[in-house]
Amino acid sequence: FSSMFQSIAGNGVIEKSDLGPALKALKDRLMTKNVAEEIAEKICESVSASLEGKRLGSFTRISSTVQTAMEEALTRILTPRRSIDILRDVHAAREQGKPYVIVFVGVNGVGKSTNLAKVAYWLLQHNLSVQLTACDTFRSGAVEQLRTHARRLQIDIFEKGYEKDPAMVAKESIQKAHRDHTDVVLVDTAGRMQDKDDLMRELSKLINLNTPDLVLFVGEALVGNDAVDQLTKFNQKLADLSNSSNTRLIDGILLTKFDTIDDKVGAALSMVYISGAPIMFVGCGQSYTDLKKLNVKSIVKTLLK
Amino acid sequence: MVLAELGGSISRALQRMNNAPTIDEKVLGELINEIARALLQADVDFKVVADMRSNIKKIVNLDDLAAGHNKRKIIQQAVFNELCKMLDAGKPSYTPKKGKPSSGKTTTCTKYAHYYQKKGWKPALVCADTFRAGAFDQLKQNATKAKIPFYGSYMESDPVKIALEGVERFKEENCDLIIVDTSGRHKQEAALFEEMRQVYEATKPDLVIFVMDSSIGQAAFNQAQAFKQSVSVGAVIVTKMDGHAKGGGALSAVAATKSPIIFIGTGEHMDEFEVFDVKPFVSRLLGMGDWSGFMDK
Ligand SMILES: Nc1nc2c(ncn2[C@@H]2O[C@H](COP(=O)(O)OP(=O)(O)OP(=O)(O)O)[C@@H](O)[C@H]2O)c(=O)[nH]1
Ligand SMILES: Nc1nc2c(ncn2[C@@H]2O[C@H](COP(=O)(O)OP(=O)(O)OP(=O)(O)O)[C@@H](O)[C@H]2O)c(=O)[nH]1
Ligand SMILES: [Mg+2]
Ligand SMILES: [Mg+2]
Repeated sequence: FSSMFQSIAGNGVIEKSDLGPALKALKDRLMTKNVAEEIAEKICESVSASLEGKRLGSFTRISSTVQTAMEEALTRILTPRRSIDILRDVHAAREQGKPYVIVFVGVNGVGKSTNLAKVAYWLLQHNLSVQLTACDTFRSGAVEQLRTHARRLQIDIFEKGYEKDPAMVAKESIQKAHRDHTDVVLVDTAGRMQDKDDLMRELSKLINLNTPDLVLFVGEALVGNDAVDQLTKFNQKLADLSNSSNTRLIDGILLTKFDTIDDKVGAALSMVYISGAPIMFVGCGQSYTDLKKLNVKSIVKTLLK
Repeated sequence: MVLAELGGSISRALQRMNNAPTIDEKVLGELINEIARALLQADVDFKVVADMRSNIKKIVNLDDLAAGHNKRKIIQQAVFNELCKMLDAGKPSYTPKKGKPSSGKTTTCTKYAHYYQKKGWKPALVCADTFRAGAFDQLKQNATKAKIPFYGSYMESDPVKIALEGVERFKEENCDLIIVDTSGRHKQEAALFEEMRQVYEATKPDLVIFVMDSSIGQAAFNQAQAFKQSVSVGAVIVTKMDGHAKGGGALSAVAATKSPIIFIGTGEHMDEFEVFDVKPFVSRLLGMGDWSGFMDK
C-alpha cells in the first residue's frame, strides 16, 4: 500500500504511471462494494484521463488527488441529469383530465409488485387516488398478491385473471381510470429475463400500446455484474421492438432490497452509469413505508469507505 | 448458460499460457490476474478470489518445480482443482428421508417435489410463508398444476404452527417427502431470521436447502453465511440459471455455507430443473476437452 502514498517526484506533472497504484486500489474497493467490474474499470479510466497532465499542488499527495477526483466523478454520475417530479407530473395530467400511468418492469423476483404497492401507499399519502393493474397474468399467485395489497391499502384494482394479454389488460385499466377520474394507474408486469425475446416482445407491446407516463425499471441492490446486462438489454429490446417513432425506454429506476446489502451499495452506481436513468425510489424493507429517496452523498461516501 | 462466460475467459487465459514459449513468473502472474478478473466479473466474492490467487501461487511455486516437470500441466491442474474446490463442498447428503421436511422457496419447492414425484416418491408441500401477499395462492396454484398435495392457511399467521400441522398431516398420509416453503428473508431482518429458526426447531428437518438467485453479487457470501449460522443449511439450489447472470455469487455461497449445490433452476416452468454435479460441470465450463485426467478421484 505504501506506493499509494508516494508523492510525485520531479516537476509535479501527473503521469498515467503515477496514478496506477492508487487507481488499482480504488477499483478493487469499488468492486468489493459490488460495483460491476466493467463499470469500475471505466470510471477509473475516466478519472485517470481527467488527471493526466494536471499539475499536482504542492504538498498534495497523489492518493488524495485521486480520491477527490473519484469522489467528484461518482457524485456526477449519481446526480440525475434530468429530474422527474412524479407528483408535479401527476397534477399536470390531472389538469388534462388524464390518469398518470406508471409501468413497473424488471427481471424475476426483484420486488416489482411489493414496491408498486409501496409507491401506491406513497401516492395515497399525497391524497391522490390510485388504481392497481394486474398485468402479471403468468406467475402463480401474482393476481392474488396484488389483490391483497389493494385490499390492505383500500384502493381499486383492475384485473382479468390469468393468461390474458397484459397489453390489453393495461389498456382497459387505463380506460377505466379515465372514466373514474382516478389520478394514477400503477401497472404490475411479470418478471422476465432480459434475454427472453418472446417475453420482451410482450413487454414492448404493452408499452407501445399504452404509452405510459413513466417506465420504471425495478432492480435489486443485491444484483452483481448482471445489473449492467439487465439494463442494457431492457433498453435495447424496447428500442428494437418499438413500432413508433417515439421510442419509450426506461425513464427511471426503483432500487429494491437496499436494506439487505450493508455497505455493498455498488449496484446503484452500475445501474445509473449504464442507463443514465435516475434512481427515483429506494426500497428498503418489506412494509409500505419502506420507500426512500436516494441519498447520493451517503452512497458516494460508502463506496469510497 | 450461466458461468459459461467465466469458463470461456478462464479457458482462453489457459490457452494463452499454453502458447507462451516458456512459463516464467510473468506468464504465471498474467494468467492468475486474468483468472481473478474473470471471477470478479462473474460476481465471485472478492475475498474468495484473493484466496484462490494465493492458493494457486502457493501450489505452483515455479522456483521449486524441478526442471523437467510439466509446468503447464501442473498449473492447469491447480486452476481446475481450485475451481472445483470453490464449487464442491464435500459429499452431497441430500437424499431426502421419510417424513421430514426440507426448507426451500416457492417455485423451487414445486420443481423439487415434481422431480422426486417422477422418481416414485410421494411428496407434499407445506406453505409456511404467511408473510408475503399471495404466497399461499402461489404455492397452491403450482401444486395443483403438478398434482401434488399441499397444506396452508389463509387465516393462520403463525408459520411455525402451519409448518407443524402440515408436516403432521402429511406424515399421517404416509408422504415420504414433505417440503416446507418459507418466506424470503435477509440477514438484516432479525425477527424474520428468528422466525425461520423457530420453524427449523419445530419441524426438525432432515435437510435445509438454501435457495439463491444466480444474479446475486458481492452480498452473496455474507447472506449465505448468515443462513448457515442460523439454521444448519445442508444444500444449495441456485435458481434463474437460464438468465445471463454470471453465477459467481452462487460459487461464493457454496464457499460460505460449505454445502453442495444439488440442483439448478433453469426457467419458470416446473420441469426447468437440473441435477448439479461439480466436476463434469467445471470440465464442461472450461470446455477444454478431456479433463478427467486431472480429477483426483
Ligand atoms: N428486504 C426487502 N425485501 C423486499 C424489498 N422489496 C421486495 N422485497 C421482497 O422480495 C420478494 C419478492 O418481491 P415481489 O414484489 O414479489 O417481486 P416481483 O419482482 O414482483 O416478483 P415476480 O413478479 O415474481 O417477478 C418479496 O418477498 C418481497 O417482500 C425490499 O426493499 N427489502
Ligand atoms: N427465469 C427463471 N425464473 C425463475 C426461476 N425460479 C424462479 N423464477 C421466478 O422468480 C420469481 C420469484 O420466484 P419465487 O418462487 O416466488 O421466489 P421466492 O423465493 O419464493 O420469493 P419470496 O417468497 O417472495 O421470498 C418468480 O417470477 C419465478 O417465476 C428460474 O429458475 N428461472
Ligand atoms: Mg410480481
Ligand atoms: Mg415464496
